[in-house]
Amino acid sequence: MNERTEITVSVNGLSYTRRIEPRMLLTDFLRHELGLTGTHVGCEHGVCGACTVLLDGRSARSCLMLAVQTDGADIETVEGQGTVENLGRIQQAFRDHHGLQCGFCTPGFVMTIADMLRHHNLDNDEEIREALSGNICRCTGYEHIVNAVRELAKERGALK
Amino acid sequence: MSAFDSSSVEMRPKMVGQRIKRTEDPRLLAGVGRYVDDISPQGTLHVAIRRSDQPHARIRGIHVGEAFTVPGVVAIFDATDIEGDFKPAVPTSKMKNYYATPIWPLARGKVRYVGEPVVAVVAESRYAAEDALEHISIDYEPLPFAIRQIDAVADDAPLLHEEAGSNVIISREFKRGDVDKAIAEAPVTVKGVFRMTRKTAVAMENRSYLAEWDKRRLALTLHSSTNIPGVIRDVLSSCFDLPGNRMRVVAPDVGGSFGGKGSLYSEEMLVCVLARKLGKPIKYITDRLEDLSSTSQAFDELMDVELAVDRDGKLLGLRADVIGDIGAYSIYPWTGALEPVQVVSFLPGPYRLEHYRGRIRGVLTPKPPTGPYRGVGRPSSTFAMERLIDMAARKIGMDPVEMRRRNLITADEFPYRTASGIIWDKSAFQECLQGACDHVDYPALVRERDKARKEGRWVGIGLSSYAELTGIGSRISVAPGMPINTGTETSSIRIDATGAITAAFGISSHGQGLETTLAQVIADELGCKMEDVEVQHGDSALVPMSTGTFASRSAVLGGGAATLASRVVKTKVLKAAAYLMNQPVEELEAAGGIIRSRASNVSMTFKEVANAVYSQMGSIPHEQREDLVASETYDPYLGTACSSTHLAMVEIDPETYGVTVRRYVVAEDCGRIINPMIVDGQVQGAVAQGIGAALLEEIVYDDQGQFVTASLADYLVPVATNVPQIGIVHIEADLPNNIGGFRGMGEGGTIGAPAAIANAVSDALSPLGIEVDTLPVTPERIFRMIEAARVKSTAD
Amino acid sequence: MKPAYFEYVRAESAEHAVQTLASAGGDGKVIAGGQSLMPMMNFRLVKPSVLVDINRIPGLDAVQIRGDKLVLGALVRHRMTATDALIAEHIPVLHHAMKHVAHLTVRNRGTFCGSVCHADPAAEMPMMSLLLNGVVRIVSPRGARALAAQEFFVGSLVTALEPDELVTEIEIDKLLPDTGWGFEEFARRHGDYALAAVAVTMRWREGLASNVRIGMMGVGEMPMRAPQIEAMLEGREINSTTIREAIDALRAELEPNSDLNASADYRRHLAGVLARRAITDAWARAEKGAAA
Repeated sequence: MNERTEITVSVNGLSYTRRIEPRMLLTDFLRHELGLTGTHVGCEHGVCGACTVLLDGRSARSCLMLAVQTDGADIETVEGQGTVENLGRIQQAFRDHHGLQCGFCTPGFVMTIADMLRHHNLDNDEEIREALSGNICRCTGYEHIVNAVRELAKERGALK
Repeated sequence: MSAFDSSSVEMRPKMVGQRIKRTEDPRLLAGVGRYVDDISPQGTLHVAIRRSDQPHARIRGIHVGEAFTVPGVVAIFDATDIEGDFKPAVPTSKMKNYYATPIWPLARGKVRYVGEPVVAVVAESRYAAEDALEHISIDYEPLPFAIRQIDAVADDAPLLHEEAGSNVIISREFKRGDVDKAIAEAPVTVKGVFRMTRKTAVAMENRSYLAEWDKRRLALTLHSSTNIPGVIRDVLSSCFDLPGNRMRVVAPDVGGSFGGKGSLYSEEMLVCVLARKLGKPIKYITDRLEDLSSTSQAFDELMDVELAVDRDGKLLGLRADVIGDIGAYSIYPWTGALEPVQVVSFLPGPYRLEHYRGRIRGVLTPKPPTGPYRGVGRPSSTFAMERLIDMAARKIGMDPVEMRRRNLITADEFPYRTASGIIWDKSAFQECLQGACDHVDYPALVRERDKARKEGRWVGIGLSSYAELTGIGSRISVAPGMPINTGTETSSIRIDATGAITAAFGISSHGQGLETTLAQVIADELGCKMEDVEVQHGDSALVPMSTGTFASRSAVLGGGAATLASRVVKTKVLKAAAYLMNQPVEELEAAGGIIRSRASNVSMTFKEVANAVYSQMGSIPHEQREDLVASETYDPYLGTACSSTHLAMVEIDPETYGVTVRRYVVAEDCGRIINPMIVDGQVQGAVAQGIGAALLEEIVYDDQGQFVTASLADYLVPVATNVPQIGIVHIEADLPNNIGGFRGMGEGGTIGAPAAIANAVSDALSPLGIEVDTLPVTPERIFRMIEAARVKSTAD
Repeated sequence: MKPAYFEYVRAESAEHAVQTLASAGGDGKVIAGGQSLMPMMNFRLVKPSVLVDINRIPGLDAVQIRGDKLVLGALVRHRMTATDALIAEHIPVLHHAMKHVAHLTVRNRGTFCGSVCHADPAAEMPMMSLLLNGVVRIVSPRGARALAAQEFFVGSLVTALEPDELVTEIEIDKLLPDTGWGFEEFARRHGDYALAAVAVTMRWREGLASNVRIGMMGVGEMPMRAPQIEAMLEGREINSTTIREAIDALRAELEPNSDLNASADYRRHLAGVLARRAITDAWARAEKGAAA
């Protein structure tokens, strides 16, 4: 039981090959095996959304995935969205609107919003709030996050 | 120390007052923040904890079974294995009839709540440690217990701490005048038993600890997700007999606290003990189940209150008997008095009230200790008082706004000493009430509600007005004789040889944006560029004594200390610049990093001054030369009153009883705002937690003392669809008399929101004669109240 | 909270999956979306010795028409159910129900069949499978079989699946284009497990209700239909009187559980409210559908 398995996974465009226990959660793989600590652990039962990443372009709760399941897959994490010196568009919108306080839930929101902007209707605040309702923030009360998404959705709409 | 004096700051664009984007953001957004679990020194071992599944029991035996055969397991400890390695922490106080329950890392002999740590497994991974836990069995001898505070206060209730002689270890009374007479003679009285149920902070980052023992220096470093690193350093220094320069506590990036990380935890002691014992870095990360069942809890107050008024709505007397559930231990350092005492001391609120008696008993029950949580006592007291105000208004047929207007302290009455001895220095009580009403156009809102009612919709309006003390100095202690000094804050500012400005503090930012706001203050006071300032915080090694960030203190005390230190450094900078530029020092002014002379067109940058002072020998005569540094400690001595009125409109589905908050306004007296974006964010976040307390959140223990709300699917915190847009009105009134003119405002939203919503729900249900007396007011509770009212009206 | 050890097998085919389950001696578990299973494994409430991952088995992710049924393969994700054109056209009540299922991130992974197999009495898909006369198609080393949804659900979180069986697809009824529908759910927060939900479909025939179906969740140990109430409304005009009768009868026959969120009494009351609204909506849509 529990033989280590080799997986090869692409994270933010870089390929990684590692031998891991099958039971290793994707959160722990990203954080401790690959040292990408931007994805955070809030609950390990799929409720809070802090661990959200993109798996083959769609948001997924990494605490509910085993790293072995991602063999051959493309993962995007918050580190791939931008850097300290060059924030990505979603990150910049959060900064402009003060959409984060402690920052712990923020990577999960950023990746969920990346999915939302690519794939979901965000025509009004109600739709935005519903789409965000799978991510818990305890600091902001959500209003500034909604403001940031509203701006991003408008931009997306203008591009169409 | 002088009051805020605007003439001391020249006329130029200021940083304070502007919506400056946060310095903290880039690293947090880019996913390169550094929280405790992100730090993994080589050789780190991981801890998993077996926690009690008994509410009260003697530990008869601990069996590890096959645990050591689990691959990766290194060591297993119970209390006896670590005996003698340290002393316990004792939350001392001078209060009468108080018992200071010692705090140990692991349960000794007895367990006193479900979730109390009993056995620690150390392994190469958390996975392996949890594997080992499954082999461990514990023989318990169950002991009787009283889980509900109302039962635990009984004289014959089973004792959680026999040495205490009672479960009631906190007992206080505040009084003024003769409230029994006032109530007996009053034309109108209203009363109720109000229950604010137990809550927990649910910071998104679970409590996380990493201890490292340096064998070379014999020094211990604890990385902790704490908001009180200085307090932890001081107490652990005593527990481990290590001097403060070999016992360091660092709070790196911390994922929220709201008070839940603002006390000493057994697990903090535990990782330190194990690090020293095993000579390896020891990491322990609570998981969410452990967070819900062992992080400090709060708000759990049972308040039996009665208010007397005259027919004109004037408050005549207030009587309160409160039982506070303080959990199984008196928490360190605040003691179990922290919350319950504030319930009865703040109960009279911002009102004119002569006759009062407020009694509190803090009682031990088998639950995690009650500790700080945003608002600390005031959410519960405001709930009770504001319900009474509304009930009285309804009884005498007065509009609730008018009722408050008649009783809120007016400007000419400041400073006002409340019946419990709190002094409101000055705050815009009346203006906040007016501001909230004006913002929503209160008369129009009332018409809107009445029209909706005629259509059969259950709509209600509710208000709450409250006041609190923030930025509290050394005169006021949450528990007399508690082992820490929360009244001072130190700022140590230095300009180095490169012209870089570093400002070190004892505060510990964990989401409040203090790296930004304190830099704004410094930029204005010192005259430097904001981006040249680095704010250091969250590290016990930075200043001689620090407590941290809590109790809405950091802007006032940290900002005050920053102001004082900046002024000293600025004086030194100008003196040096005056010499270097050959200008009279009175003619010099500093702004944006440049020192200019009004008398001529010469100027120098801070960098050039620093270079000259530090690195150019002989540029300044050696007897005049001073390092460009200062360290100042600020003590506002008293506290600053801060107030707000909240106004909520709710709608209740008349069939499902689901409650929706349709409108929400906060009018607050916030003093001088450093960063309006950050202030708004604090208000919104605090109101969201208040909405959670009012409608969703409840920690539940069943009659067997078992913890029921064991996941985030059971303990419900608000999500984006639960929180409306919040209107925020900043009332600009007289600034308080502290350096800077700041008010602390981090907690207010949580203080006012439960009461406003409780009143709004009661208003919506008033046609049915229902009064809300328990929070959260859930659809289930509304159903029960409606059924009871139906039965009653059938019987009548 | 970390899962216990297990042997991990990535199934290449349904046969491979069930052979692996068979050799696990009753202690194997299938993982598809993992949105219900992984939390239980992380809590160590469930500790399979073998975890059979079916996510890479080809051909299981289709939504297709088969006669008068729609067939959803084992790997049809909730997101696909929510956006599929066939479902939107033929089973609008299911299309509409999807917005109540958890959250968009969970819907990316969670599957229709997985949710049915998890059999949570407060989940939407088990109820929908009953409402739509679902037929669960199962394979095992012993061959293939089919179970009606009614027989599939045995208790709260318990189904009639043997330990070596795999659900490969579920067939559900297509509804006639003039079918009216109503769906009402009440949860504490958006996306939470419902305290109760009711789904109704019916047709309008000469002013009378026909093919009345009522599905319910959150009000018992299992999702349920309400055959007595369906019979009560069948062939009658839906008006305030008939609705009143139906709701009273419904409330009288329900025996919900009490738990942290809601007492049995409140659940019973709530079920009646939601049923009334859903029946009203279904009737109105059926009337419109017939007129069209």
